[in-house]
Amino acid sequence: MSRVLGELAVLDDVGPPRRGRAYPAAGATSALLLPALLLLGGLVAWPVLRTLHASVTTDGRWVGAEHFRTALSAPGTGAVVGRTLLWALLVPAVVTVLGYLLAAASRRSQEGGLVRLILVVPTALPLVVTGVTFRLMYDPDPERGLATLVAATLTGRSAADAPQLLGPRLVTVALMSAFVWAWVGLAVLVFRAALDAVPPSLADAVRAYGGNRRDVLWDAQWRPLLLRTVAVVFTLAALGTARTFDLILVMAPGSVRDEASVLALRVWQTSNGATTGEGAALGVVWLVAVAAGMLVAALFVRQAWPPPRDPVPVAPEPVTPAPRRTTRLLVAGAAVAWLVPLGVLLATSLHGAVDAAARGWWWSPPGLDSYRDLLTGTELWRTLGFTLVLATVVTAVVLGVALLAAYPLAWLSGPPAQATGLLLMAASIVPVQVIAGPVNEVLGVVLSSGTARGLALVHVALGVPFAVLVLRNAFADLPAEQVRAARVGGRHWWGTLRLLARHNRPAVVAVAVLEFVQVWNDLVVGLLFSGPGALPLGLFLAGQTRGFAANSGALAAGSVIASILPVLLVVLARRQLVAGLVAGGVR
Amino acid sequence: MTPVGRAAPAARLSRRALLRAAAAASAATVAGCATTPPAVQVAVVWSGGELARFREVVGNYGADVQVISAGNDIDAFLRARQLAGTSPDVAILPRSGLVVEYARRGWLRELTPATSYALPPGMADLLSADGRRYGVWVKAAHKSLFWYFPSMLPAPPRTWDQLVTLTRRLGARALSGDGPAPLAIGAADGWVLTDWFENVLADVAPPGYYEALARGEADWRSPSVHTALDRLAELWGVDGAFPGGGRRALLTQYEESVIQVVHHRRATMLFEADFVDDVSRRFRRGPEQPETFRFPGARVADRPLIVGGDAAVAFAGSARGAELVRWLSGGSAFQPWLRAGGYLSPNVSVPLDDYRDPVRRRLAAELRTAEAVRFDLSDRLPGPFTGSDGVGMWRIMQDFFADVVDGVPAGSATRRAVGQLAAAARSAGGGR
Repeated sequence: MSRVLGELAVLDDVGPPRRGRAYPAAGATSALLLPALLLLGGLVAWPVLRTLHASVTTDGRWVGAEHFRTALSAPGTGAVVGRTLLWALLVPAVVTVLGYLLAAASRRSQEGGLVRLILVVPTALPLVVTGVTFRLMYDPDPERGLATLVAATLTGRSAADAPQLLGPRLVTVALMSAFVWAWVGLAVLVFRAALDAVPPSLADAVRAYGGNRRDVLWDAQWRPLLLRTVAVVFTLAALGTARTFDLILVMAPGSVRDEASVLALRVWQTSNGATTGEGAALGVVWLVAVAAGMLVAALFVRQAWPPPRDPVPVAPEPVTPAPRRTTRLLVAGAAVAWLVPLGVLLATSLHGAVDAAARGWWWSPPGLDSYRDLLTGTELWRTLGFTLVLATVVTAVVLGVALLAAYPLAWLSGPPAQATGLLLMAASIVPVQVIAGPVNEVLGVVLSSGTARGLALVHVALGVPFAVLVLRNAFADLPAEQVRAARVGGRHWWGTLRLLARHNRPAVVAVAVLEFVQVWNDLVVGLLFSGPGALPLGLFLAGQTRGFAANSGALAAGSVIASILPVLLVVLARRQLVAGLVAGGVR
Repeated sequence: MTPVGRAAPAARLSRRALLRAAAAASAATVAGCATTPPAVQVAVVWSGGELARFREVVGNYGADVQVISAGNDIDAFLRARQLAGTSPDVAILPRSGLVVEYARRGWLRELTPATSYALPPGMADLLSADGRRYGVWVKAAHKSLFWYFPSMLPAPPRTWDQLVTLTRRLGARALSGDGPAPLAIGAADGWVLTDWFENVLADVAPPGYYEALARGEADWRSPSVHTALDRLAELWGVDGAFPGGGRRALLTQYEESVIQVVHHRRATMLFEADFVDDVSRRFRRGPEQPETFRFPGARVADRPLIVGGDAAVAFAGSARGAELVRWLSGGSAFQPWLRAGGYLSPNVSVPLDDYRDPVRRRLAAELRTAEAVRFDLSDRLPGPFTGSDGVGMWRIMQDFFADVVDGVPAGSATRRAVGQLAAAARSAGGGR
């Protein structure tokens, strides 16, 4: 689960304003925007301009479209662009359909809650851990890889001829399956919130007018709500596919990198973190595509059926019909399918280095050797400690900056509100690979390139736009009379802000948890900006995948340890997460 | 790759000077009255055990040394630090090509090594740019080795033809199901394949051609490159050559290929450098130690020896860095690592008796007596041509390997690879 979850609230905000944001303006409070403006200007807007500039110049000399021509005519670029598009269309479609089916099915059955819990766990895992898990499962050696063993048995072929999921032909399918596994839980959460928000009276009304099952689905669910929700989920997943970078880096062996490559990887490979020439050109192409996708999605959501203005509080379903057999099968199947990878990871982690590398986890009795080796060493503790401090500090700063900035922005209404919404949304989807070089230049000016300080600054800058959006929307949802009363009652802006924060606790919790988990789970920012003595968890794990089989015991154990905190946080806070983010979004 | 540092050098230099001054000023303020100078910063690629050994080494240096592990991406790390004006004093680089590149950009300081610094002939002039020396070798890797268990292979091959014959025989046996495959290969790691290519190329190329290629002065579309690739195709194309087949070999990483030999004994021979024994020690079963033989070639008399290595450089403006590098180049600096094992010194003045580990002692002797020492070619190539996962020479060799094991005729596989090599060399600015 990541930053993009925020776009739930965000996408909706581009739509027709829900209510007047008639807060009294106070000139001085616009100064509260300053920290956010500095961060976004310096570490997002300026770097984007620098990248645009670098894509049409060589050492400051104008070269026109030369870099674009070279980059796009380079062998394999067509395939890379095509694969990126395939990711952005096919994967979200699968995630959306599966998410809806599972949300609808698990709603009716008694075990639904448990199944949803199982589905949510993968969304909290770092993508690096997801990659490790699926690479363990898809290992080409049938003695180690469960999937390869099953495939060989099913196809009746020998181990050498068994289909290789990590081979050049199937690697993209393997990567996509891992991504879908990780993202469906999010779609289920959103769809469930949407389905719960559908007033049951609507369905009753349709039935009363003689509507059949399909009419109920169409008139009582799809038109008022699901259309928008589908658009939101699809867009979320499509934007999320920009993060396949982590998966490819961890899952694809060196020899099939090109067969798995997408724009994110290509940009990183061509410019090596410097963002010059062809790398910058490809980055600009990517940026334009992402921005266009965002705009289309925003327009789509905007033109969709407007949501009911005053949703009735969810009443308990009057009659729960007995779940049909297909429904129950679907739910049970999903629970098993989602548990198997987790089981593989856990089982592998319970084997020592030699056992895990040489044979599969089902060959030898479990033990705690890998955990002992990791926990008695100093490296894991250092990286855990560093990541904990980093994530905590970044979360605190992001929350502070975003609370201050959201306060003045919440007064805006009409076109200015929509414009700032769009700008913030754009800022929150800029892929960091595209601006890595210029960001390093800026960090160099403040003397923190390649240090922990620099890393934290980049995380803050990337986290702020999303946090501001969510908090602004939440603040704006608070009835204006309350705010006015508070101000009339003689409160200072600080008092009003505190009041707003107190009344929007779910949103604040959601922002804090998401930001923390995002930094904790990060790989790419660490890869691009960390320096010596600053080894974040994602980088620590990804570094060991260079000798994947030899390190699989330690990798699995490290992955389990790395996942505990984010899973706990997301599972415990999932109600606030949904409430905070979806408030005003899907409703 | 476009040289980033060429834009307005004067402006950038002055900015860097300014930043350095600012940093020094703030450091002085923070340090207050304390008079101890800050530690000398060294950025290295090593981690884990190797990092610990290197810390022991610099522990014997007269001043405080802070070792920072920049990981495999040390190039990107140093570029970012240079851009920000916060370069470390010393860096230990895994590729000689980087030393020359940095030196040409003016990032490095000229060096004078210790008097006891003596190298095998093939390594001496690789770290110079425009006649000045900018780096010293501190660690070497012997990259012309095959590993095997004597109990599985009583008579190791001595020539290339013997190797091919043996591979065919063992391959046929493996296909019929009564014996291990002849070769293990970690083809998922491109550098394994480039190491193969370099050994064969050095063997078949006329004198001077290998070096000319490395300097970017020769044409890749030459009979030597064709012959080398044809030979590899001849060997790699043998049916049953690799455990699980060629497609499986492309998904096997280097460590796993070692495990296939030393743990599973699914393969008889493994080609790779002296550092194989690090993995072997962790995964070996039974008391038998793996043995080595030299990469078999056509020439028995003066078999070329491929070496790799790590070089130390000092960044411009750091006199203390240059002093540390000079100390590191001396014969006695790396004593702790020599004693602990797993270290091969490029310095031939280090007495053989100092080597505690018998494999390294023999390899050190070979380094001294080898007639033709050639330095790893792919490490010397410019820009992205040097290779990394899915990029440059690594990628080209993997495509070639895939063609060969997929049964593409050797002739067309070779032609395609030569074409790609020549094109990559051209676009990287080397070769003709």
